[in-house]
Amino acid sequence: MNDHAKKRGVMAWLDRRYQISPLFEFLRHKEVPLGSHWMGWYYLGGVTMFFFIVQIITGVLLLMYYQPGEATAYESIHFLTTKVPFGWLIRSLHSWSAHLMIVALLLHMFSTMMLKAYRPPREVTWVSGYFLFLLTLGFGFSGYLLPWNKLAYFATTVGTNIVVSVPWLGDWLLQVLRGGPDVTINTLYRFFAGHVVILPLAFVGIIGLHLLLIQRQGMAPPIEARVAPRGMKFFPSFALRDLLLWLACLMALLTLAVFLPYGPGIPGMDWELGDKADPLAPAYPGIKPEWYFLWEYQLLKEFPPHLFGLEGPQICLFLIGILLGIWAIIPWLDRKAYVNKPSPEFSDFGWGAILFLTYLTLKGWDIGAGGPAEDPAALQNIARVCAWWTLGAGAVVILFRIVRYQHSWFWLSGAALLQVALHGLLHLSYLRAGVIAGAIAFVAVVATYLMESRARQRSAG
Amino acid sequence: MEEKALTTSHPNTRRHFLDLLLGASALAWLASVAYPIIRYLKPLPQTGATGPTHLTREEAGKLELNKFVIVPVSGQRVIVLQAPDQQLFAFSAKCTHEGCTITYQPGQSQLWCPCHDGRFDLTGRVLSGPPPQPLAKFTAQRQPDGAIVISELKA
Repeated sequence: MNDHAKKRGVMAWLDRRYQISPLFEFLRHKEVPLGSHWMGWYYLGGVTMFFFIVQIITGVLLLMYYQPGEATAYESIHFLTTKVPFGWLIRSLHSWSAHLMIVALLLHMFSTMMLKAYRPPREVTWVSGYFLFLLTLGFGFSGYLLPWNKLAYFATTVGTNIVVSVPWLGDWLLQVLRGGPDVTINTLYRFFAGHVVILPLAFVGIIGLHLLLIQRQGMAPPIEARVAPRGMKFFPSFALRDLLLWLACLMALLTLAVFLPYGPGIPGMDWELGDKADPLAPAYPGIKPEWYFLWEYQLLKEFPPHLFGLEGPQICLFLIGILLGIWAIIPWLDRKAYVNKPSPEFSDFGWGAILFLTYLTLKGWDIGAGGPAEDPAALQNIARVCAWWTLGAGAVVILFRIVRYQHSWFWLSGAALLQVALHGLLHLSYLRAGVIAGAIAFVAVVATYLMESRARQRSAG
Repeated sequence: MEEKALTTSHPNTRRHFLDLLLGASALAWLASVAYPIIRYLKPLPQTGATGPTHLTREEAGKLELNKFVIVPVSGQRVIVLQAPDQQLFAFSAKCTHEGCTITYQPGQSQLWCPCHDGRFDLTGRVLSGPPPQPLAKFTAQRQPDGAIVISELKA
């Protein structure tokens, strides 16, 4: 019997029992919509998943040596990176792949948002992706503590303290999260359980749903196209391209992991083990969270101690909660995309969010100063340099949107840039600048809608 | 008419009652599963030495050398510092902003939290930065025999 016949035999055997031929029929007809938009956006979800798979493999390998414990956590990672053959490589791959996964995920999320792929019938796909995003941040945060070094200790202290702001449940949550009132080795045990069991289980479950929905509905065609003008066959055309990109990602990952085993050495992207955590040592200057939490770190710094009779950090975290909440329910807020019409307002919301995050991240990175700065003159200098970079980026984005998409709605990205200019160039406080820019944007948005609806009435009348 | 309504509604009310019973017992079952888990997750209150704490020789040496030392007192991190006039001060070392461990800057006679740049003076008051509350005070006393005793401030 030749190979071909044997294969067919197995298929026939399976088909008789489990009726798998409709599945193959489905895959044969599966297509990826082609349109006026760049195809590259369709690969980003796959790239994110590729890095997640690398995380699972390298994570399981790390588990073979890692020992959580007061006297063992730091020591076992030290042993792993200095004594175990290729231990440094496995740890480096795990760290690099974590960062690259977040980069891919952010690109995937923002591109999905700009292409309005969240519009019906794909709202649940968006929400499931949103939860995957939160879980990924949870992975990053919980994994950070496991080496039990000094940096991790303070990052975790600040990070977990955030839950205190949750009304009523705050204190209970903090205790449950930390395993006590302070960050101790009990916190590490809980984070370890979360990082290697709870989060992966939740992640795999939700990613299953996310993928199932995508298989069921296919990828979102460009907006206003009822049916994609033409499609690319998923098998083999798209799948092979996917595979090629995964190979490229693997090569990039290996190169980075081998040549920069402790990260590029910029704050927030550096996994040098450093000193062991010591609860009785003070925090040290220049302490920063991972780059994807820098915006939040910086925003916490911008809030004064008290505002409207409440504590500054509480209001700050409440604001972040509202923004994250809006992000989750975008499919229901965007009424134009809901009826398959272009919604430049929401593209602008996405760009506004990106510019807002960019400025805070640059500032958190102390761009414009040699290192961590404390005196007011140096801080003003940082605010100014970061403002110019953000304004430059914003101008490029707006110009591109005018030329490429003929967009003419820029109130939200404009407000983000106005805040940056008022704060960075005119030295208004960050919050005051934000209130002024927000108020102008609010009035402008309301006025635009009133004018639009009047014009519609007139044309209807 | 009334009789008909009664006969049709009678099984409905019984069903309704059974549904209610089932729902209530399902809720009770869920609660009886969740309650032990919730209690399990909440950590036990910390046990350990409470009350005044003597600085060990090593800690006193650190205080002499760095002008400050962080020690555990009644399960809390406490920073003990020596001002230029040799006066001793003790505060909770937990920054009131986001809980980082603060440090002492002898040159400026300030307590400083490097995490978000909060500054406190030697009475624990906020000088600048985002901390919303002053630092909790402790008492530090030098005994006649030279030993240093840290204790919680009685309210």
